[in-house]
Amino acid sequence: MSCSPFDLKDYFFEELDGAQRKQVEAHVTGCRACREELSRLRLTGTTLLSLREEEIPRRIAFVSDPVFEPSAWRRWLDGFWNAPARLGFASAALVSAALVVFALARPAPIQLVRVPMPVAQTAPTVQTASESDIQARIDQAADRAVAARTQQLKDEVAAERQRLLMVAAELEVDNRRQHALYMSAAEYGPPRQPALEAK
Amino acid sequence: MIFRAVEDGDLIRQAARGNVEAFNLLVSRWEKRVYNYLLRLTANREDALDLTQDVFLKAYQNLRKLDDAARFAPWLYRIAHNEAYSMFRKRRPESDVADLPPAAAETGIAVGGSPVFPIELSLAVASALERLTPEQREAVTLKIYQGFKFEEMAEILSCPVSTIKSRLYTALELLKTELAPIEARGVS
Repeated sequence: MSCSPFDLKDYFFEELDGAQRKQVEAHVTGCRACREELSRLRLTGTTLLSLREEEIPRRIAFVSDPVFEPSAWRRWLDGFWNAPARLGFASAALVSAALVVFALARPAPIQLVRVPMPVAQTAPTVQTASESDIQARIDQAADRAVAARTQQLKDEVAAERQRLLMVAAELEVDNRRQHALYMSAAEYGPPRQPALEAK
Repeated sequence: MIFRAVEDGDLIRQAARGNVEAFNLLVSRWEKRVYNYLLRLTANREDALDLTQDVFLKAYQNLRKLDDAARFAPWLYRIAHNEAYSMFRKRRPESDVADLPPAAAETGIAVGGSPVFPIELSLAVASALERLTPEQREAVTLKIYQGFKFEEMAEILSCPVSTIKSRLYTALELLKTELAPIEARGVS
């Protein structure tokens, strides 16, 4: 088991950064076991590298055949779709064109200017005016109703008085007629007996 | 006059636009490494060569899908890994691919009985590699012989870094034990 601050194999495979490599090198200088382990790793690596690479038996080369080559238009199209910068520029140009067309096709909108009003002062004024207005309207309505009712009662009283006067006049006429009948009866004697009584 | 080496990124961009010559230059830079990686996996020259051609053909067809040119190497080896295991499945569809041993002979990689590594040390190393599981052998190949980082290996093999490290460190312990007698004789 290695006592190195970092794995000696990581050091051997050069997977440590500069500071880590320096720590391992400082440790290995004073640690015999780690120094020997690192030596074994290097020896194994050297032995493995003795297995040389072979030359390829036959070189590989491609020939250009126009039949199988994509057309210039196809290459441009593939390049366009595989290039984010071109796509982004095309999208921006499309949006700009759409904005210009939209701006030219529609009339300029009417600009409304809103005047700020003090809300805290406006609200009580509006509320007071409304109450007084409502009260005035109620009073006016009540006055009109009372006046109409008074006039109606007056008309009814006058009509009743007129009716009583007519009744009184009729009674007077009747009294006079009755008095005339009485006077005529007194002047010409008592009235005759009925025929049955004569029998 | 200023000379600048044509980098892989430049070749990839040109090849993605249909420049076959640029792709051929790219192939010439990578074919030996890919061939030897596939040779370690298959232990057969003909299979390794056929697979290498398939790998570069598939790479050319899909080069436009490669977003980051800096990730070309892991991307190419991912194709190679998939092609190799696809071949294993076709040949032994009823078997678990993880259990498949390479087709190499006991004495090392051979085609028609002729050894690929005839010297003693190469035989010993090849024999020691044969004793590893296919996953361990592939991890050793990618790390020792191809020089990939753990993150790149995880991308190629499509598994976590912790799994990669576990396979590699176990394989390294086994190889130390297997090769110790040869190392003690000072063969290296």
